[in-house]
Amino acid sequence: MAVDRLSATLFALADPTRRGILARLATGDATVGELAEPYDMSLAAVSKHLKVLEEAKLISRGREAQWRPCHLEAEPLRAVEAWLEDYRRFWDRSLDSLADYLKTMPDPPFAKKRRRRRT
Amino acid sequence: MSKITVDTSSVDEAVIIMTRVFDAPIEKVWFAFTTPEHVKRWYGGHGFSSPVCEMDVRPGGKWRHTMKTPDGTEYPMEFVFVDVVKPTLISWQNVDHGKRTGGPPTTLNTVTFQAEGEKTKWRLVARFNSIAERDMANNMGFAGMVSQGSDKLNDLLQTL
Repeated sequence: MAVDRLSATLFALADPTRRGILARLATGDATVGELAEPYDMSLAAVSKHLKVLEEAKLISRGREAQWRPCHLEAEPLRAVEAWLEDYRRFWDRSLDSLADYLKTMPDPPFAKKRRRRRT
Repeated sequence: MSKITVDTSSVDEAVIIMTRVFDAPIEKVWFAFTTPEHVKRWYGGHGFSSPVCEMDVRPGGKWRHTMKTPDGTEYPMEFVFVDVVKPTLISWQNVDHGKRTGGPPTTLNTVTFQAEGEKTKWRLVARFNSIAERDMANNMGFAGMVSQGSDKLNDLLQTL
């Protein structure tokens, strides 16, 4: 996945209503009306959120003229998870390495002096 | 040795929190973390190397780093230090944090060091950013949103 799409996914996730919609869609496809039910907002406002989600390819919409049910597309979410996992793995590796290195690394200059002063 | 832990369930701010305890005094861990000749020895982990590491460790100072992966690919990076409180806190971010218009999200990383006798507790809080934050009209913290998003998507993925 292109990195720009990752940013688009993050942007789309950056709103509680949109996350709520995704959570709802995780339980099954739904129409705009069904998705709007829990929210105190117009269908037009909900439609705007759906458009953002659709542009980020987090949802797809059916072709049935009137109802156009929304369907969750999990792939971009997996990309976010994968990216976070890469970040975590980088530090995991680095810190393993740092822990090993600290065992053989010479004491820094003045460290002993500073420690004594504090105690 | 304690292992790293990742907390992506925090909903207030951080996307990722990692903690670890090093079996070395705080001054030594600080020195290993902020001195290029030592950073080169561990940054990236086993099999990785750092052909370039230049650090001007003070607020506003630059950190230029090139990481080389085991297959020889080089990743040049440029960071700027935000806060430096020796030997307890250091934070840095990508130089284009909040300004980048493409590429992966950038991060503001804050590491705190806490002495526990002759051991040192290390804690990283990473806040993520992207073009999204700049474009957001409201004041909601982006990291928090991603965190919640991440939390949600964990739930989602379990149900798919």
